[in-house]
Amino acid sequence: MPAAVTSITRFDAAVLLRRIAVAAVVAMAACGPLGLLFDVPLPALWLRAATVGLAGVLAFSILERWPRRLPKRVARWALQVGGVALAVPFTTLSIYLFSTEVGAPPFWAVPERLSGVALLTMAGLLLGPWTAVAALVRQKDALARHQALAFDLERSELARQALDARLKLMQAQVAPHFLFNTLANVQALVDVGSPQAPAVLRSLTAYLRAAVPQLHDGGDTLGQEVRLVEAYLALMHMRMPDRLRYSLHVDASLESILCPAMTLLTLVENAVRHGIDPAEEGGSIDIGIERRGTRCLIRVADSGVGFSQSGLPGTGLATLRERLALTFGGDAQLRLMARQPQGVCAEVEFPALESMP
Amino acid sequence: MNHPTALIADDEPLLRDALARQLAQAWPELRVVAQARNGREAIEQFEAMAPDICFLDVHMPGISGVEAASRIGRRAHLVFVTAHDQYAVQAFAQGALDYLVKPVEMARLADTVSRLQERRAAALPVTQTDALLRQLAAQLGRAAPPRPLSWIYAQVGQALRLIPADQIDYLRSDTKYTAVAWRDNGQPAEALVRTPLKELLAQLDGDHFVQVHRAVAVNLRAVSHITRGSETATIHLKHRAESLPVSRTFVHQFRQM
Repeated sequence: MPAAVTSITRFDAAVLLRRIAVAAVVAMAACGPLGLLFDVPLPALWLRAATVGLAGVLAFSILERWPRRLPKRVARWALQVGGVALAVPFTTLSIYLFSTEVGAPPFWAVPERLSGVALLTMAGLLLGPWTAVAALVRQKDALARHQALAFDLERSELARQALDARLKLMQAQVAPHFLFNTLANVQALVDVGSPQAPAVLRSLTAYLRAAVPQLHDGGDTLGQEVRLVEAYLALMHMRMPDRLRYSLHVDASLESILCPAMTLLTLVENAVRHGIDPAEEGGSIDIGIERRGTRCLIRVADSGVGFSQSGLPGTGLATLRERLALTFGGDAQLRLMARQPQGVCAEVEFPALESMP
Repeated sequence: MNHPTALIADDEPLLRDALARQLAQAWPELRVVAQARNGREAIEQFEAMAPDICFLDVHMPGISGVEAASRIGRRAHLVFVTAHDQYAVQAFAQGALDYLVKPVEMARLADTVSRLQERRAAALPVTQTDALLRQLAAQLGRAAPPRPLSWIYAQVGQALRLIPADQIDYLRSDTKYTAVAWRDNGQPAEALVRTPLKELLAQLDGDHFVQVHRAVAVNLRAVSHITRGSETATIHLKHRAESLPVSRTFVHQFRQM
């Protein structure tokens, strides 16, 4: 019922109309028992009761805004209920005063009319303030609901922001070891005027752009991940041309789907660092990305030394699991398996959702 | 004076070639007689060629540069080459070992070369390195302090899997093995680890994994509630129907709960 809330801050015709309608209905309900005691035709009686109700609505609505500042001791709700209670006898008396035909005796001189005033006042005093209190309670409820909703929205917004911040933090830090080793290689290529140098520099730039959180320009699609991994593998292949072989098979229709930053890179870096690099003869990394129904399956299989020799995976994979959970809830899986005769296969599976442009 | 000879060991071919080129410039008389791709080859080449000076990359697959150095011992002048790794650089800066930081700068290389030339000219014995190398190996080993395991390596049916520690509900001792009750994508699953419970528990995060019975350890994050008996207690789990016994020896851990 947001309308009830907005009426607190600005005048709202719809609210006033609804209040009038409620007053009319209450008046009609009151006319049932009253009609048994009055010998006035029902429509006329209802008109009188509705007038009383309307006056109550007016008192209620006016006191809702006026006076603008109340002394501390006076609660506005009490003022409104009191106003309604006062409006009832006042209006009833006015009706009977003004409806008295010219020349007729005043109403207090006619017993039937006097009891009419009393009955109408009683009914009004019974129903008016109660209706006012009910309206106030409903208003408070609606306000509370509205605020709860606003809080919820704010909370989820804050949660999302916190999550974004975490994601940014969780993006892989470029290890100085990797960076300086790579730079040493680039320098070696430049020193001898190798035609490879420009391409390698481009790969390094692409890698840094993605891997350094401050340079990362958001937008996490699988296509971007694949570009990043291609850059990383090109760099690593330059560094260990005799020890690293790799292949990459990507279903091109998946390039535009949502994929948390660093997902693929974490798997591939892990394969290089814990599988290929510790092996004297190196090995191969085979990357396959395919659709499985409505889901995307990423497989990174290496023929490196395996877990047993290189110890267990580090924080990179634990972080990746967390990141997948943050992005897809429980709908993403990360599995790690030993390969025969040696090596590790890592699989990540998650829903293939088109990323928002 | 005969020509000085050198060995260069680095797993990255571009860097081996670059260092050879830089040495040719900084020390034209020096002959690079051997190149190695890892520690094992470095030792073999050293035994075969007996070079005067060994340039050893610290980080190499298999046998590292530091290990190779301790095998070569005092039979050659040693110069370590390391990429910028704060631990390695700190370790070297404290010791009297010669080292170069990649990318190798010519000025820095020239310093190293003149030091080596002086030592050769004065026929000084090679620096006593044993203690230094032990210290260095210890420091490089300590560089990464052991963290509690966030994954354990276990047999699930026919496959070897890595199980995330936070998906483990509890561990049950099974003679020499440990049975691991965990959640494979939310589904209760069992796995087997070839490590005794006590040993496995020592490697897991003590904030989360506590022993509750001679043969049982539980992941506190998987506990839904605990009912207390007079001297024992029973642990009820969030994701599993079975409950776990807490024996008298371990019940004190839940006194404050």
